[in-house]
Amino acid sequence: MELVAVAVFVVALALIALEWVHRTKVALVGAALMVIVGVLDEDGAIAAVDWSTLGLLAGMMIIVGLTEPTGVFTYLALRVAQLSDGRPVRLVFLLAGMTGLLSAFLDNLTAILLIVPITLLLADLLRVSAIPLVLVEVLASNIGGTATLIGDPPNIMIGTAVEELSFLDFIVNLAPVSIVTLLTVTAGLAFVFRKQLRVPPDRAAEIARLDPASDMREARYVKRSVAVLLGTILAFFLHTLLHLEPAVVALTGATVMLLVAADDVERALERVEWSTLFFFIGLFVMVGGLEERGVIDRIAEALADLTGGSRTAEGLVILWGAAGGSALVDNIPFTAAMIPVVETLNAPGEEFHDGLWWALALGACFGGNATLIAAAANVAAAGVLERAHQPISFVRFLAVGFPVTLVSLLIATAYLLVFQL
Amino acid sequence: MSLRDITLVPGSVAEAATFREAATALRESGLPAIAVVDAGRRVVGLFTDVDLLRGLFPAYLGDLRHTAFLPDDPDTLTRRAHEAAAEPVMQHSRRPLELELETSATHAAERFLHCEEGAIPVVEDGRFVGMLPRAEFALAMLRRRTET
Repeated sequence: MELVAVAVFVVALALIALEWVHRTKVALVGAALMVIVGVLDEDGAIAAVDWSTLGLLAGMMIIVGLTEPTGVFTYLALRVAQLSDGRPVRLVFLLAGMTGLLSAFLDNLTAILLIVPITLLLADLLRVSAIPLVLVEVLASNIGGTATLIGDPPNIMIGTAVEELSFLDFIVNLAPVSIVTLLTVTAGLAFVFRKQLRVPPDRAAEIARLDPASDMREARYVKRSVAVLLGTILAFFLHTLLHLEPAVVALTGATVMLLVAADDVERALERVEWSTLFFFIGLFVMVGGLEERGVIDRIAEALADLTGGSRTAEGLVILWGAAGGSALVDNIPFTAAMIPVVETLNAPGEEFHDGLWWALALGACFGGNATLIAAAANVAAAGVLERAHQPISFVRFLAVGFPVTLVSLLIATAYLLVFQL
Repeated sequence: MSLRDITLVPGSVAEAATFREAATALRESGLPAIAVVDAGRRVVGLFTDVDLLRGLFPAYLGDLRHTAFLPDDPDTLTRRAHEAAAEPVMQHSRRPLELELETSATHAAERFLHCEEGAIPVVEDGRFVGMLPRAEFALAMLRRRTET
């Protein structure tokens, strides 16, 4: 049965990586197989699902989904672009900074879906290629999303699975290294792309004349939805003091948003990406099958043997292994499988070491930049570019994403060695 | 009553046609949508006025929802129109919904209520016979009711 569990999970990972079938279908079929063949029973399957992760994701989807139609994000993006005065380096830093910030507090996939269409518009107006700008944004979104508990799915999964880690812990331990990495990577990309992003002076003036405030629709909802969004983020910071789980904060925010900023609840709930939630459900059940059959324990033991029980070596193996696994497959299933491994390494009864969790978060999130398929935000950006007749190939993404990932991991390694391990 | 009792409107373009040729055929038909047909007159796609708009304007407009601050950018629009003109119509057409000539008017009404297209291709033995425009269909139903 152990072999069956491993076979189902490995085949599912391969299919997710190859994208022959929608990842949600793969995850659900894998989960169904785990139960049908008896790897784990029905109660075990339900218990394996981390409902807090689903609640947090659904809550944030509703909050962001109801804020987006007000036009506030378009306003923000255009204002930031106007600050660049058409200077390429400044434009790259401003777009990277804004995308990183949005990714940290919304989630990187949402940030990319909001920002990339506006970037295509800006690139057309500025008469520059959109691809360098979109590449910068995708890479910035994965790095920015690393900074908080809600910024990237791997962090959401870790944050909801490990009750010792608060929203503030993520900020304190991950935001500084994320900011340093973002600045370093952005500086490098601005240098690399500087010639492709030269803006004719008349075009910069054209951008400066635009007034994004003229399309802030549903004015009565702008203040309400922005207030709820900011209030929810504030509540995340205070969730330990409030004795509320992050999922409760997100769902409470979503409920308030539905009360004050949604005329039609049915339409508002259409903002929930059900395929993503079911993808997570399938993954949790598959990983539950691996746990049930002792596969996770064996991986943890093998990892402990490989590293000789050294916390430093364990952390570095998790960091680089998570990055490699995320690059090849997708950082969400990889993190789902690694969480119980790290839990096993942080054995109950022993002193809690958060360093391994930060290693996993940094590896999974930074690894998401290595290839086009490594993170949902990358795939989404490629889809928008494809529709705009400016496709980006796997190799072109790799040529930029891989070196960026190496630099990011080197910074993360130094950070972990000095401050965490 | 079946669709055989309703006057259908000619409106099709060959699958090998370009976007420009399809746009011309759409305009000349006066319909909101025309069928894209293969050499055997089988319907392989549907080209609508929305597809025409999508082709003429930058694709990211479909992803944006706030553009009131945007002035027209003639250079971008001209460039996009030039690019689109030579593209194959199949690149811009959508999966076709079709109705059999013997379909009842009630079923046709149900189909129209559940699709956004303003005209549906009608086929007989799998071959295209004409377009059924939504407005024409509704008016034909109204006329019939008035007469009875």
